[in-house]
Amino acid sequence: MEYRWRLTNKMKRLFGISGFLWMLAVSLSGLSGCSGRADMGPVADAANVKAIRDVLATSKGAGSEQAAAATGTGWATIKGQFVFDGDPPTMPPYNVTKEAEICTINGQAPPQEMLVVTPGSKAIKNVVVFLRDASRVNDSAKPKTDRVEFDQKHCLFLTHVVGLTVGQALDIKNSDNTGHNTNILGSGFNQLIPAGGAIPYKVQKDAQVPNKVTCSIHPWMTAYMLPRKDGYFAVSDADGKFEIANVPAGEPLEFQVWHESGAAPGNGLVGTTPDAPDVKWSNRGRVAVTLKPDDVKELKVVVPAKAFRL
Amino acid sequence: MRALALVTATAALVGCGKSDPPPFRLNMTNVVAKQIAPEHQQAIANILGAMFGTPDEPIALKETGLDQKKLDMAAGPVWSDKVGAKHGLYRRHCVHCHGISGDGRGPTAAVLNPYPRDYRMGVFKFKSTYTAAEPTNLDLTKTLHEGIPGTAMPSFALLPPDEVAALVEYVKYLSIRGQMERLLEDHASVELNAGDKFDPANDPAVQKLVMQDMLGPIMESWNGAKEQVINPEDASIPPDNRPAKELEASVKAGRELFYGTRANCVKCHGPTALGDGQQDDYDVWNKAINDFFKATDDKIGQIASLKTDLAKAQGDDATQIRQQIVDAQKEFNERHALLSSLLLPRNAIPRNLREGVFRGGRRPIDVFWRISSGIPGTPMPASGPAGEGAQGTLTQKEIWQIVDYVHSLPFEPASLPQKRPINASEVSTGE
Repeated sequence: MEYRWRLTNKMKRLFGISGFLWMLAVSLSGLSGCSGRADMGPVADAANVKAIRDVLATSKGAGSEQAAAATGTGWATIKGQFVFDGDPPTMPPYNVTKEAEICTINGQAPPQEMLVVTPGSKAIKNVVVFLRDASRVNDSAKPKTDRVEFDQKHCLFLTHVVGLTVGQALDIKNSDNTGHNTNILGSGFNQLIPAGGAIPYKVQKDAQVPNKVTCSIHPWMTAYMLPRKDGYFAVSDADGKFEIANVPAGEPLEFQVWHESGAAPGNGLVGTTPDAPDVKWSNRGRVAVTLKPDDVKELKVVVPAKAFRL
Repeated sequence: MRALALVTATAALVGCGKSDPPPFRLNMTNVVAKQIAPEHQQAIANILGAMFGTPDEPIALKETGLDQKKLDMAAGPVWSDKVGAKHGLYRRHCVHCHGISGDGRGPTAAVLNPYPRDYRMGVFKFKSTYTAAEPTNLDLTKTLHEGIPGTAMPSFALLPPDEVAALVEYVKYLSIRGQMERLLEDHASVELNAGDKFDPANDPAVQKLVMQDMLGPIMESWNGAKEQVINPEDASIPPDNRPAKELEASVKAGRELFYGTRANCVKCHGPTALGDGQQDDYDVWNKAINDFFKATDDKIGQIASLKTDLAKAQGDDATQIRQQIVDAQKEFNERHALLSSLLLPRNAIPRNLREGVFRGGRRPIDVFWRISSGIPGTPMPASGPAGEGAQGTLTQKEIWQIVDYVHSLPFEPASLPQKRPINASEVSTGE
């Protein structure tokens, strides 16, 4: 008891009231957070804010319709094949954590589809190619009306990458003897698909990047869905082949090349087209090209291993 | 000496002199994940500032249809005027959890489970509308009025109705602002290259993009919410006073659906209904943070593999790889600087249905809506139709049967507190 008293006295002498206040000040300044944090990003700039506000108030946001100006005439076709350069990595099996009797094939979990390369030909499947902005749309590429089947079996989406036009009807099927739910991220659609049943769905809005599709019950299940306003898109098949017919000719076109494991920003895929020097690739996996009317442009796209983040 | 300390201490108590009014900040996780150039970050902050104002001076843009009077009541610092009317309601009641920009990152967020809602996605869990639709004013009012049982969200039933209405308006305002921000950031990341101008003040195309293509659909969705309410058909609704036998039959049918492969509730809520099924998925809010952590980790591997490549490369190749390493390192540093400000992501744990605590409300219609349209933003899928005229997985009658079963679960013997063994020491330990 006496010892503690002495210590307190000593502390009082050492620090005094001012010392105590000093400590309080230090601890409080820490709490009140005077120091700015570097990671908080910019704050609106008053002068520019006023300028924008004035414009929005007067123009009522109507603006002028600024569709890409059609400068060319006629139509052309672009097609080609994606080929992997080097030795493609082996895909590990899906991490099947439940219902192995339904979700495996002959007791084996199927390989993941982050990169599907056909042995021998080294053709790359599931590469998406689409025209970014069409100044005009050929009748053959108007929004489609046929139904698209989107099935699942062995807890796999049978179409790993599906492209479709807005308003096109999708039949989401479930050929498994267990319930699935199909969650199309970014669309607000997430519905149960009963065992052996099907649910129709109409895509409401287009996207610049494919939406991921998952199943909450079997979280390893993955697919991608690209809804577009027009039919100028293609997904490469098991031979790595794609074709987009009747695109506007005689004007600059920009195609996006996308793959779920693409290393470029937004999962763009940067390939090379050594046989076609007029085709320019950007570091986002965008291809700039101008086609002549009735031209059928055939591209052999060689994709180096580094173009994938795997 | 003492005087100096006193001055310092006073300064510390007051803060940093006269403090500036709090600004809105961008969603830096999204900005860094999408690698948006600094000049475009500034442009986005300016556009949002022009459209929505500041936390002290919010703007009810005509195109949003928001009510300026209500926003003024809810926004700004806390004070009361001469007649006692209260101002700064959001900062009085909400900001400590939901944050100035509605990011769900107020100072208390870190100690709450579940984390407070981040409004900026415009996604709300508990509502009467179809899955993809926004909530109605009534839905948000109900959440404020009842609170969210089982969470830190309290009831604000004691506030006068005009104050609740002001807060609902302000929550919508923060959501719309957050949705606009996301669209602007998506646009910047996909469409803009470094150095591109992005300023509506002198570009009509950007004006149209911002006001029509972006704000248009957001407002359509909010204004159309009233038409998206799920109203079960009268014939499907079970009467209030059912004979016990009828209720029992309905509970039994609901139980079969719960365990069957059509409704499939068992997969997530578990064979015991304790929520012990699928537990390793995320809701959209936690998923965004989880993806951010994962991608930051991946950067380390990417930099290491680039360095291995560099050791083997020569000439132009080496120069290119060196640049890639610099870029990757820069992104890693930006990501790393944010990590300490993030709340660790949590899995979406399916509800334990035996507790009798229903976050979105316990009325039969509340549980009906949860099952019919699912819980937006979470793994819980819809079992009713996705919209008017669409095909549901279950019929309304079947959904009501599951409602009856779910309502019966907390009262099953298995849900009640268990008796301890009469004499614990007499229980064989198997030795």
